[in-house]
Amino acid sequence: MKSTVASIGHARLDALLHIHGAHRRFATPEGGIVSALGGVDLEVRTNEFLTLLGPSGCGKTTLLRAIAGFEELDDGEILLGEQPLSGVPAYRRPFNTVFQSYALFPHLSVADNVGYGLDVGGTPRAERNARVAEALALVGLAGLERRKPKQLSGGQQQRVALARALVNRPRLLLLDEPLSALDRHLRQAMQVELKALQHRVGITFLVVTHDQEEALVMSDRIAVMQSGRLQQVGPPGEIYDRPANRFVAAFIGNSNLLVGTVTAHRGDSVDIETVSGLRMHAPGGRFAKGDRVEVMVRPEQLSLDPAAGDGPTIDGVVETVVFVGADRHVQIRTRTGDALTALQRHVAGAREPGLEPGAAVRVSYRPEGIHLMQGEPA
Amino acid sequence: MRPARRPVRWRLVGLLAPATLLLAGLFLVPLGIMATYSFLSPGLYGGVEWEFYPFNYGRVLGAPLGDVEEFDPVYAAILLRSLRLATITAAVCLVVCYPAAFWVSRLPAPRKNLFLFLVTLPFFANLIIRVYAWMLILRPTGFLNTALDTLGLAAFAPDLMFTEAAVIIGLVYVLLPFMFLPLYAAVEKLDPALLQASADLGATPWRTFVRVVLPLTAPGILGGCVIVFIPAFGNFVVPALLGGAKVMLVGNTIEQQFLAARNWPFGAALAMLVLASILVFMLAVALRAGRANPSVRS
Repeated sequence: MKSTVASIGHARLDALLHIHGAHRRFATPEGGIVSALGGVDLEVRTNEFLTLLGPSGCGKTTLLRAIAGFEELDDGEILLGEQPLSGVPAYRRPFNTVFQSYALFPHLSVADNVGYGLDVGGTPRAERNARVAEALALVGLAGLERRKPKQLSGGQQQRVALARALVNRPRLLLLDEPLSALDRHLRQAMQVELKALQHRVGITFLVVTHDQEEALVMSDRIAVMQSGRLQQVGPPGEIYDRPANRFVAAFIGNSNLLVGTVTAHRGDSVDIETVSGLRMHAPGGRFAKGDRVEVMVRPEQLSLDPAAGDGPTIDGVVETVVFVGADRHVQIRTRTGDALTALQRHVAGAREPGLEPGAAVRVSYRPEGIHLMQGEPA
Repeated sequence: MRPARRPVRWRLVGLLAPATLLLAGLFLVPLGIMATYSFLSPGLYGGVEWEFYPFNYGRVLGAPLGDVEEFDPVYAAILLRSLRLATITAAVCLVVCYPAAFWVSRLPAPRKNLFLFLVTLPFFANLIIRVYAWMLILRPTGFLNTALDTLGLAAFAPDLMFTEAAVIIGLVYVLLPFMFLPLYAAVEKLDPALLQASADLGATPWRTFVRVVLPLTAPGILGGCVIVFIPAFGNFVVPALLGGAKVMLVGNTIEQQFLAARNWPFGAALAMLVLASILVFMLAVALRAGRANPSVRS
């Protein structure tokens, strides 16, 4: 790798792709303008599994298409190493894409679909055949070379699309909602498999998805997008435990979100009081007395066990208990009127005392389980 | 309470019978009459004499000569010219319609529908009137030459009337919608994601065209060519009006034999030869399509 941009920090040194100030606007049929990308800065590091995560319409697919070369940016640039990609047509970019619809050529066999990139690239026949066989074996489709795409199941088509992209050994593999057309079980199996595959082939993966669970399972890093802007970029654990703002906290996993004010500052931690009057204690040395904060507590951080430690507690009343298999979601109304959801592990045969709707409960938590975010000024 | 199989089948036969009989009656009977007439002797004032007379075909193909109707190579020449002009017509229609079909398929839906309506609009006016309009355009003092004259380009003013060029212009004009509609249907079905996939895999636009667009729109190309070629081959209005006696095609030759020359058996024989040529052409197309479909190899 000679593309070492001299700059601050070592992270920049092994970056494969730099995106600077990417802007893209579209005209709506009603005559308005929507901003699909509103100034995105992102770097894709060599050999990482990076996920662009966000609700539909957040701009993640536009960004992917801009990298692939199907979409020009209105403003900003994308650099491969040091080379700007603007004006470089899709067919000259060393990237390959797995399309959401797979986009397999219906008139070509599985082997010819997979060999397409090598054929147009002029790879000698013998090498081409060997690499096609290798790629099909890699995705577990050996023996189906002569089938037409229509004669394959959805999962098999997905694998052909994957093999067709990987066989060209791209610098970067772009995957647009690659698992969205598969059923739940297959999707979960493929999440693990994609991750393992990325490890084995050593190619940088950039995946677009709206499925937060998928992103958490597969990614080395997640870039959360909303309304054309990056909200947070980081490893899954960081995004889950320390979301940058209310949107990220609400979009990824389940969370209790409250709005409050810092009432006292004690070194590394603060006392807070929610709008309704609930008092809590949380780490947050960076906040000052009087700051508005968003308070996030994951349901699994709230304990309903009366014997749990001597941490701070909140009193309330059980409203509903929802059984979801491994867990029970217990919805609680606090004395101050806030709604909280706590998680209780389901243990077969054990009768949990006092969890009928209407029963009084005492919820305990550890202050470290509470995450504070900058709130909107009141 | 599922009805038994047998009654369903009989009900199907009952429902299909009227249409089948109607089609058979209206199609096979006239065809039978024509086939029979082509082997009979011409009557003096039209009609036929009921005696076996094989020389109608001999007059075109040069088979055994009778005393009465002599072999004349002019008819073979007319057949060949008809084949040639029909082929050129189909080719010109294809070249004009293929890019147009792509252009229209990329338009937003309301404009797309407007354009499709415009393509079918000429059908609302009578064919002969539309071809007469072309006479007004193409004749030596017509709109085309007057316009060139006005622009000071009189030296380039062509004399197109009663030439093969005029016949081709007329045939292309009349048959363009028949090429456009099947082509458009094939192009519209082409998934744009496939073109992106091809580019993504490193294919230049030209290679994408050859390896993806052409094979996937081939059914539309073939269909359009067939339904332009066939009516172009047998058309008699366009060559009669724009080609006159100089550019006789098999269509207006047949018309003349039935009407002016009053030689029904010879007209019938020519018609049977046209039918045979088209059957051979169709058979070749069907065989090619059948061979190309099951295994397209690159």
